[in-house]
Amino acid sequence: MSKPKLITEDGIRSDGRRFDELRPIKMEVGVLDKSDGSAYVEFGKTRVFAAVFGPREVHPRHLSLPDRAILNCRYHMTSFSVEERKPLGMTRREVELSKVIREALETVVFLEEFPRTSIDIYIEVVQADGGTRTTGLTAASLALADAGIPMADLIAAVAVGKVDGQLVLDLNDVEDKYGEADMPIAMAPRFDSIVLLQLNGRISKDEFPKALALAKKGIMEIYRLQREALKRRYSTTHQGGM
Amino acid sequence: MPLYFSEHEIVLPGQLLSDDGRRSGEGTYVVDGKIYAAQVGLATIRNNRVCVIAFKGVYRPQVGDEVIGVISDVKPNGFDVVLGKHLTGVIRIPDRRKVQNLGLRVGDVISARVKESSLRGIILEHTRKMRRFDKGLLISIHPAKIPRLIGRRGSMINMIKRMTGCRIVVGRNGLIVISGPSPAQEFAAVTAIKEVEKEAHTQGLTERISKLIDSILKGGVG
Amino acid sequence: MALPLRSKKDLTARIMQEKIYSLLQQGKRLDGRGPRDLRPITIQTNLVEKAEGSALVIMGGTKILTGIKVEVGTPYSDRPDEGSFAVNAELLPLASTTFEPGPPDERGVELARVVDRSLREGKAIDLKKLCIVEGEKAYILFIDIYVLDYDGNYYDPALLSAMAALATLKIPKYKVTDGKLEKTDEYFTPELTALPFSVMVGVLGEKFLVDPQIDEEKVLDVSLIIGTDEKGNVVSIQKNSPGPVPINLMDEIIEIAWEKTQEIRKKFLESVPAKLAQGQ
Repeated sequence: MSKPKLITEDGIRSDGRRFDELRPIKMEVGVLDKSDGSAYVEFGKTRVFAAVFGPREVHPRHLSLPDRAILNCRYHMTSFSVEERKPLGMTRREVELSKVIREALETVVFLEEFPRTSIDIYIEVVQADGGTRTTGLTAASLALADAGIPMADLIAAVAVGKVDGQLVLDLNDVEDKYGEADMPIAMAPRFDSIVLLQLNGRISKDEFPKALALAKKGIMEIYRLQREALKRRYSTTHQGGM
Repeated sequence: MPLYFSEHEIVLPGQLLSDDGRRSGEGTYVVDGKIYAAQVGLATIRNNRVCVIAFKGVYRPQVGDEVIGVISDVKPNGFDVVLGKHLTGVIRIPDRRKVQNLGLRVGDVISARVKESSLRGIILEHTRKMRRFDKGLLISIHPAKIPRLIGRRGSMINMIKRMTGCRIVVGRNGLIVISGPSPAQEFAAVTAIKEVEKEAHTQGLTERISKLIDSILKGGVG
Repeated sequence: MALPLRSKKDLTARIMQEKIYSLLQQGKRLDGRGPRDLRPITIQTNLVEKAEGSALVIMGGTKILTGIKVEVGTPYSDRPDEGSFAVNAELLPLASTTFEPGPPDERGVELARVVDRSLREGKAIDLKKLCIVEGEKAYILFIDIYVLDYDGNYYDPALLSAMAALATLKIPKYKVTDGKLEKTDEYFTPELTALPFSVMVGVLGEKFLVDPQIDEEKVLDVSLIIGTDEKGNVVSIQKNSPGPVPINLMDEIIEIAWEKTQEIRKKFLESVPAKLAQGQ
């Protein structure tokens, strides 16, 4: 299949966005009942659920840590979330993404508050259109907050990339597939710190700081939306019955 | 001290609350001498400390808490008790005969007082204070909502008891036993309690709960 | 009434067991329902564009998302003019503290197979309509069921969501040019040739209840899932729990199942734009 045109000379992308525009984002906190905290996030067509259980006992006991909680994270995609059906079970990609997402969250969760326990995070991608790990991480952060797990900050994440030579924010699936670079980034904005960073593709040394700045801009907006979503959940005025 | 929030404002993790790092209280943390919120909750000053009362804070049993639990294991030297979704405690009775005489079985619901609570676990007191419930409904709500369910000087819980005519024993750990003269009244009590859990952070709750109970009892549901 | 109270994770309080039993004796249930009342059902379809068919069913507190992916494969040699379908189910750890991550355990496997049987024996779709080139190419439907939130009885909403996803399937049309298969831009939605639905019936002390909520599920003497089609045939049965079913109760159980599946059928037709084959 020939490579589609990803961005015009006027800077309009395949889905009509400009280079620095995020996709339409939807966030809802507390969407599942049986978990301790949950969230649902959409970035364009990418749709992800996240749920948190814990802090809870670790089984088997010998896996627990004496001075802090263990964070477990499972990033998983449904079979129908992608164009070509994904077979059941964990692929290597899901295993890797589970790790980097967990490490991002470990940076901000106060694990020492809950020794000998585990905090389990489940991310389920029901539709994938680019940026599933960053959407998942954004959702997981909301789910942790919803579960009352103490954290230093929320984590907001987005992917920046390069398509047809131009840096763009919040890659969709087509851009991810056919672009020159895909760089997911997550930050704890309060401390101006990066908690997840990967690069798939290539960018020049000069482009890198520009890409970072572009990402940060998107992240601050996502962070604002997260805070709004959490506040909405606990608004003091009575919401009409569900 | 300089504050960056108003009393009972909803704050979020990472939100800056104060520059005076010496006055940090529960639900907060300090970095570079500044106090930040660690939880989603209401920011407030308590005992001259900046605190965040979390909407869904993790319950940490305090010595003296009256809790309700379900016996999950009977051992020669005591019982294991489930106190919540992720919480268990133990009752230690070094006398095997005493354990047998108590006649408690797996699945029994008891109320007890917390004797010790540490990283090593929760130990419940075995005293006359410990009692077994022999009938009623057991429900569970998030422990963080228990204070709201009780209300100032018991105002909310007493209203629910009065209006439904039910006996309600509230465990600080979120487990509650309800026993009433009829299923309809028990249903009204359960519905009211679950509504309090859902709407704990809203205003005008007492009145709405009162109306809710009214409508259930009149409507003849349950 | 000595019922086995299970592991710590699933521990049921004795007083709750007794309460559920005594309420049922009076024709009442914990959530205010009558013994023959189903929980409120909502059905949403076409929510996942990348799937050829999808549906979210919420039944009380149980939430199930089913997606269908369509692939092209070779028909079975003994059925060269038919396509096929396969059902899988995952009890996601998001849904309950009793679901572990990993490959489906016996419950997940059972759920998939029960739904499969209801669809297959219920003849919900005409597999011949899934043939592209006889003996060579046919559509394979992968019906994948995910339990997102578990508040009792995932069986009925699972079948319901699979049916809703099937009813709104958009299968890409293929054409053959020079012996090669080419995907066109057109789609078709296969008709449903039957409407199989199931209901879970629980027995507690000689009394029945339908669509158990999770607290009820844990204390039932026994439960069965019964699937029927719109013509009154019983198309699947699964006794899905330990415990004896007094044989004299079976007739009544089948009657209740028929009544309730008709209700679900009605709800389905109201909510889903299903194309029905002649004679439905």
